[in-house]
Amino acid sequence: MANPLLGDTPGDTHLLLGNEAIVRGAVEAGIQVVTCYPGTPSSEVPDTFYRISPDGKYYFEYSVNEKVALEVAGGATLAGAMSMCTMKHVGVNVAADPLMTLCYVGAPGGLMLLSADDPGCHSSQNEQDNRIYARLGGMPVLEPSSAQEAKDMARDGLLLSKKHGAPLLLRTTTRVNHLRGPVEFGPAPAPGKPEGFKRNPPHFVPIPAFSRPMHVRLMERMEALREEAENSPYNKVTGSGEYGIVCSGISRAYVADALDNAGLADKVTVLELGFSNPLPENKCLDFLKSVDTVLVVEELEPVVENELRVLAQKNGLSIEIKGKDVLPRNGEFDVTMVENAIREGLGESPVPTCECSLPELPGRPPNLCAGCPHRGTYYAARKVFGDDAVYSSDIGCYTLGLLPPLQTADFLLCMGSSISAGGGLAKASGQKVVAFIGDSTFFHSGLTGVANAVFNAHDVLIVILDNRTTAMTGHQPNPGVDKTVIGDNDHPLDIESAVRGLGVTEVRTVNPFNQRKTMAALEELGGMSGVRVLIAKEPCPLYTRRVYKKIAPQVAYVAESCTGRFDCLDKLACPAMYKEGGKAAVNPILCNGCMLCLQVCGHIKAKKRGS
Amino acid sequence: MPDTKKIRIFMTGVGGQGTLTATTLLAKTALSQGLTVTSGEIHGMAQRGGVVESTVLIGCKSPKIGIGEADILLGFEPMETMRALPYLRQGGLVVSSTEYMPPLSVAMGKQECPTIDDIRKAVSTCTDKVYFMANQSIGLEAGAVQSGNIAMLGALCAAGELPFGPEALEAAIKANLPAKLQAVNLKALELGVKALNS
Repeated sequence: MANPLLGDTPGDTHLLLGNEAIVRGAVEAGIQVVTCYPGTPSSEVPDTFYRISPDGKYYFEYSVNEKVALEVAGGATLAGAMSMCTMKHVGVNVAADPLMTLCYVGAPGGLMLLSADDPGCHSSQNEQDNRIYARLGGMPVLEPSSAQEAKDMARDGLLLSKKHGAPLLLRTTTRVNHLRGPVEFGPAPAPGKPEGFKRNPPHFVPIPAFSRPMHVRLMERMEALREEAENSPYNKVTGSGEYGIVCSGISRAYVADALDNAGLADKVTVLELGFSNPLPENKCLDFLKSVDTVLVVEELEPVVENELRVLAQKNGLSIEIKGKDVLPRNGEFDVTMVENAIREGLGESPVPTCECSLPELPGRPPNLCAGCPHRGTYYAARKVFGDDAVYSSDIGCYTLGLLPPLQTADFLLCMGSSISAGGGLAKASGQKVVAFIGDSTFFHSGLTGVANAVFNAHDVLIVILDNRTTAMTGHQPNPGVDKTVIGDNDHPLDIESAVRGLGVTEVRTVNPFNQRKTMAALEELGGMSGVRVLIAKEPCPLYTRRVYKKIAPQVAYVAESCTGRFDCLDKLACPAMYKEGGKAAVNPILCNGCMLCLQVCGHIKAKKRGS
Repeated sequence: MPDTKKIRIFMTGVGGQGTLTATTLLAKTALSQGLTVTSGEIHGMAQRGGVVESTVLIGCKSPKIGIGEADILLGFEPMETMRALPYLRQGGLVVSSTEYMPPLSVAMGKQECPTIDDIRKAVSTCTDKVYFMANQSIGLEAGAVQSGNIAMLGALCAAGELPFGPEALEAAIKANLPAKLQAVNLKALELGVKALNS
């Protein structure tokens, strides 16, 4: 039976993750092409499209990076295909180049970009607010606050994008991507075939002479979309009273609950902006005139707040507008925080707080899994180079190598930066640099870094941590993998050949669980200069279990002879190991049988699993 | 949807324990009772062995529970119960496991977990509605260690703070879990209800 997300079953209600609801919305709109680069918190959108793709009527791909993903979707929409491209907020930085010009060129088939922003940095390196990209490029923005809206806005956004030929931003935040709620389905008609490309160079080739009128058309399009925003059911006024609140995105949910908690729902007028760009100026102006104070409740940047201030100034209104002066510009909001801001504005006392105090508790930091091959690579690198090398890191599970005792991540910028920033550091300082990069990240943007390092004669030892999958975001395939959850990869790219093809002559491949060979290779390459590459190749153990359906036949155990030196625990920090009665011990349930610890201490032995 | 009293349930556990499965099952149970339900989960880099926090909110729009907002705290690991205590409102309900899953620093002998007595004392400053149960042992008795979470959901449903009882959870297990997992989880549910009343 096909997945319920694909069925034409209007009226059905399912409890869906926000990200699954987005998939359903796209199916209801008649989606034809989906591209992505996975990134938390967006990953379940493409993962769901991928999983159900054997029964779907759309083309789906995991692209190598966000720029490529948006360009593929951009080509598809020019061919008249309803297209969607998904990524996390920092992914839009990678895709920003085609994005800015796609807004000029337009999207004849419809094109929705999902940007999953991450206030609070739950799984990201920054908190950037991508609503600002929409202002920079000229894109309409929808911001859902519930699972139902995630579905409805994905559908309506795609249809709106097609109607106006305007690339549209569906901007979510982690809370929306990862909430679950009931979603009532609408009809899901068959999408049919894309119309095909219609040649029209003045519209589609942005040479300067054509770009200038394109920019004018873009501005006209935005004015037409402003009219849509004025009349959109996602922009609505509720309640009554002279105290006004304007809110967008998930903040709308916090405002609703805060007013309910405080019993103030009938004393406050609320303007919800679910369709937040272009600003529906008439609706906002009417609202500003109807109240005497306004509190703008939006997470991160004062985007709507500033637009309202401009609108008020232009229209000579002297209304008081509050926002980032009473609510923070960083992190997530919650209901009590919003309630207290409203109470303060109304001159009421804040919500009483519970005064329970806790002692400091042992932390539970994330750690490389038991049996993670990166532990073997990092252990060897630390053993060979210690603190003499600067370790340039990249984005992936392997960034966890920063934690003691491995401590093999000294700095990090973004996807693919380990090679290029590592080369820059070495050029500037002459220090020895070891740059770590994962296989998926290598294909994402490491390849160009290698080309640059070879061309500019950088002095950098690059270690490619090839665990045969994109582990961090949930085991998505990349060009190098040979197997996926829904079948084999028919064209696996060989990293070693790719690196040699880019002009690197000194390349070694090792299994990082073979410590002797790994250390020997690191010592050899460490003694050379120029661009050298070590490929540490061994699949992620979780992926091995899930996709290769294999479990190591052996587990480690600590022999009676253990002297309690605890080198194993102190140097490897494997989560399967612990101290017990003055000796080290291995939890056989957690042990993945990598046998790295056997090479660190002779008192650790192997035995058959289950014996 | 009927107008219901708002109930905010904060759940916490260790990655790999099945916290998110329990969260979804409880949300589906509430939905099956015609209640407005939203749930949320936060899991980024802490998927394995890190703290996993999730929420089920009945009658609310927000999927998030802030400090001091939870009516119910469900702790699948005792130290995580203690860590999450600030989320509980004064006088809220706590259902917690007594069985530890030590973090690495404790396994390495560098730090110590608070004792169950420490945890009881800390909880008692916030509320006297507390149930402790041996989550993993009950799970093992039912037939699978992960079913200890369902035992705790059973205890929660029997504690009388939700607008539905264990029979609603029983129906949700039958409707939503694969057939081969049902017997174990129904047994766990029964043991959880018993543990609450003992």
